[in-house]
This record gives sequence, C-alpha cells and structure tokens, in this order.
Amino acid sequence: MAIAYAHESTADQRRANRKKAVDGRTVICKVKRCDGPGKPSRWESFKVPVEPGMNVIACLKHIAQNPVTSDGKTTTPVVYDSGCLEEVCGACTMVINGTARQSCSCLIDEYAPREGDTITLEPMSKFPVIRDLWVDRARLFNSLKRVKAWVPIDGAYALGAGPKESQANQEVRYDISECMSCGCCMEACPQFNIEPDESKWDTSFVGPHAIAQARLFNAHGVGKVLKNDRLDELMGPGGVSDCGNAQNCVKVCPKGVPLTESIGAIGRQVTLRSFARFFKGR
Amino acid sequence: MTATDGPRQSHHLLLRRLHSLSGIVPIGIFLLFHLTTNASVVWGAANTRMPGEGLERGVATFQHEVSWINNMPGLLIIEISLWLAIGFHSILGVFYAMSGKSNVGSYRHPDNWRYTLQRLTGYVGIFFILYHVATLRWGWTFLVPGGTLWSHEFAASTLAAALRGSQEGFTGAGIAVSLGYFIGITCLVFHFANGLWTAAITWGLTVSVGAQKRWGVVCAGLGVALMGAAWMALIGFLITDPGDARVIEARMGGGSHSVPDEHADDAIGAAPLGREP
Repeated sequence: MAIAYAHESTADQRRANRKKAVDGRTVICKVKRCDGPGKPSRWESFKVPVEPGMNVIACLKHIAQNPVTSDGKTTTPVVYDSGCLEEVCGACTMVINGTARQSCSCLIDEYAPREGDTITLEPMSKFPVIRDLWVDRARLFNSLKRVKAWVPIDGAYALGAGPKESQANQEVRYDISECMSCGCCMEACPQFNIEPDESKWDTSFVGPHAIAQARLFNAHGVGKVLKNDRLDELMGPGGVSDCGNAQNCVKVCPKGVPLTESIGAIGRQVTLRSFARFFKGR
Repeated sequence: MTATDGPRQSHHLLLRRLHSLSGIVPIGIFLLFHLTTNASVVWGAANTRMPGEGLERGVATFQHEVSWINNMPGLLIIEISLWLAIGFHSILGVFYAMSGKSNVGSYRHPDNWRYTLQRLTGYVGIFFILYHVATLRWGWTFLVPGGTLWSHEFAASTLAAALRGSQEGFTGAGIAVSLGYFIGITCLVFHFANGLWTAAITWGLTVSVGAQKRWGVVCAGLGVALMGAAWMALIGFLITDPGDARVIEARMGGGSHSVPDEHADDAIGAAPLGREP
C-alpha cells in the first residue's frame, strides 16, 4: 500500500490516504515549540488518538487537554492562532509536513493514515514567532499598505454610484479577491525572506499576495485612481522585479489566487508605467 | 511617493530590467550566433563549396566563419561591449541571486527547480566564460593543459588541441577541460532558454498561464536546438585531429598566411611542420 507522506504529496494522493485511514489509531504529533520571541526552538512529540475526520486544530485541542509529551513529560499546551476554522481567515496557517497550509482544513487522515504515523507542525519561518505555532504576520499587512490595497472612497460628500463593471473584468477580479492574507505564498517564496528589522519592511520584497492585490485594485473602477501610486511602489526596491519566478506561490495558495498571472500583469503595467515616466516625465 | 524616492525607485527597476534585457540583447543573441558558428565544424560537412570531404569540409567551413568574424570592422569594440554586458549581467546576477534562498527541499515543483537551476547555472556560467575567454581570447595559456594558444587562423586545430590537452591524444587534464566545456555550455544554454522564458513574465509579455505555457514551448524548443548545436560543436572539435585540421587551415591560408604565424608556432609546439603537405 503506497502512502504519500512527503511534503510534495499531491491533493489526489492525500485524498487517497483518507480512504486508507485506520480507525481507532494513535498518531504522533511532532511540534516545533518556542517559548517566545528570540527564544530557542525545540521539538516535542505527542501521542494523539485520532477521531474520524479530525483536523490539526482538534489535534492541538487534544494536546491542550493533556499536555504530556510522548515520553511522559508534562509540558505546556501548544499555542497557536486560529479564527474561522473554515479556511477563510488565514490565521491558523502553519507549516505541516514541510509545506505551508491552514491547519483547520488539514485532516489527520490525509497526512497520517496509519497507526504510529507522524504529522509534523512548525510555525511559518518567514514571520517572527510569537509563541509555538503562532506567528506575527504584521509584515504581510504592511505590504498591503505599501501597495494601497484599497478603494479610496473617503470624502466630505457622497460620491454616488460607482462605475459599471463588465462581466469579464469581474471574473478576473473575483479570483484575486479571494485572497485571505494567510501568508502561504510568502512562506513558500524563495525570494521572500524573514526580516526582523521592521524599518526594512518597506524596501524588502512585498510578496506575491500584495502584487496580486495591486492588480485587483488597479482593475477596480474607483480603485484605479491610485494605480500610479501602486505601480510606483512596485517599481521600487522590494517591488515586482524582486520576483524570481519560482512560482511556488501559486502552487501553495489555498484559494487558487492567480498569483503568477498577476505578477505578469503587474510586470506589464510597470513596463508601461516606466515608459510613460521616461518619455512623459510623470 | 515623495520627490526624493523617484530616482531610487526608477533605478531599482532600471537595473533589474537592464539585467533582464542584457541577457537577451546582446548576450543571448551573441550566444545564438556563437553556438551555430561553432557547430559549423559539423554542419559544414554538408558545405559543398569547401574542399575535401566530410568533416574536412567542417573544419574548413569553421575556419571560413572565424576568418570572416575576424575581418569584421570594429571587432574589438563588439568584443569589449560583450565583455561589459556579460560583466554587468554577472555582477548584478550574483547580487540578485544572493537575495533569494532556494527551498527545493520543501517545495519540489519543476518551476522551483528551474528557479534554483537558473541561479546555479549562472554561477557555473560565470566561471566557465571567464576560463573560456581568458584562455582562448586573452591568451592565458598557463590555464590550458599543453599550453595551446588559440589562433583565429588555425581555429579548429588549436581549439581541438586545447580540448585534448596536447597535440596528439587526450590527456587527463584535457578530458577535464572537455568535461568542463560540456558542463559550461549545457549550463549556459539552459540559463538562456529559461531566462528567455522568465523575461517574458518580467516584462509582462506573457500574463496568462496559457500564454506562459505557449512561450515555454517556444523557449524549450529554442533551448533544445541550441543545446544540440552546442553539443554538436563540442563533439565535432573532440573528434577533430589537430594535425589534420592544421593542414586544411594552412591550405586555406588562414586569411593571409600560407604558413603558421608565430602564434601558431607556439600553439603547435612540438608538432613538426613536416606534417604540412
């Protein structure tokens, strides 16, 4: 019976694992732990009896009820972040068996289908750890601020109805609007590296999600008034040209956001913008 | 955006885009001509305008091409421009490559391998080009086993001798040099084909996944063809006997000489001139 555990396992292989899952088994949950910012990391393993349909969050809740490692030592409950528990908020993103994904939608049956199998949980490596599996994703939101990922509608009077939206444009924008700012694309990106120095956030790589959001708001009838601001930011250090085309982002995106297409689209907008700036001056 | 970060911002993009552009024009275009010219040592066998038969015609065709290039006006300016472009592309490339951190161990997609290989082949390519130009163009013969000095009037024979490590047969060091050439050209052709594919995304030419796939087929096709030309040339020079080739080249007069000039004399070393017909 072939079982795919490795991090490169495909969704199909994982679905196949679900059918092979053994009832009433106990699996090992191996967690990379850290007591606080700047503190050293350590590994702890926990034996977890699996219930049908159990996800990683339920696994962590079980550990919180019985914080005893597999070698019998009493420890503290594992700290993690979570919100919606239905893969739309992005808070519970962590590195599971080597790849980034949401722990709420991660079924134990897919990753550890047999008795004694191990499932490995680590915090994302590109963001500073607050504690255990909980990381600070502030830089992700800082990137969204850099590209002004919003529609400017504040003012002293009502602006009236927005411009008409074509079906075709709507279809392009909808896919990008599904981004939940989870951080998977940044975690998987070889060009996006951890930057503990907050003052460098504005010149280090913005990340694939921010480039896609710039495309989304540049395509918005009202949002496009800030198009040049967004492109000017993405022309600078840490902008779209820092992308190395490894295309990991689009493969790990849980929402299937067309990240690489957006990088190409913003590349095109930046090319045209730079020509305009060169020949027109602004 | 304030007025002060205008230049900083545009220079960042300008350098990135010049890095991308320089890989295609002039370096990529030059690579295209360079490799097809080299391959003439094999495809020249079909060149009926040249004397002799089979690969003798190849040697003659290659010599004809090399002589033509050496008679180009302002060749040194073209060469210096290429060296500057390659230097610019290399220095910025190393700087950019160091800004990333490969993670193929965790994310084993072909695209991620491409990303890593693009950087690795770039590093290998820098060393290879430096060795290649230093030994065959700048005359750093102390780096060539057998001490062969490449001569544009005895193009195939001196190159074959440099690859063999001696005028006669293959020496151990010669095999190492030949292997180095195989690795070097393979890396550079991959680097060019993949760079051409990613440049289209960088400039925003290919946006949709379908467009990227289609352009990928074009780049892969070009890469395979160039790889074929590069390997063909290398095999051609490896099976070329320096002594036999020198006879053909001397007969062609190397453009103006009927006997080897003093450079070629150095190059031939111990090889007796009596081999001449």
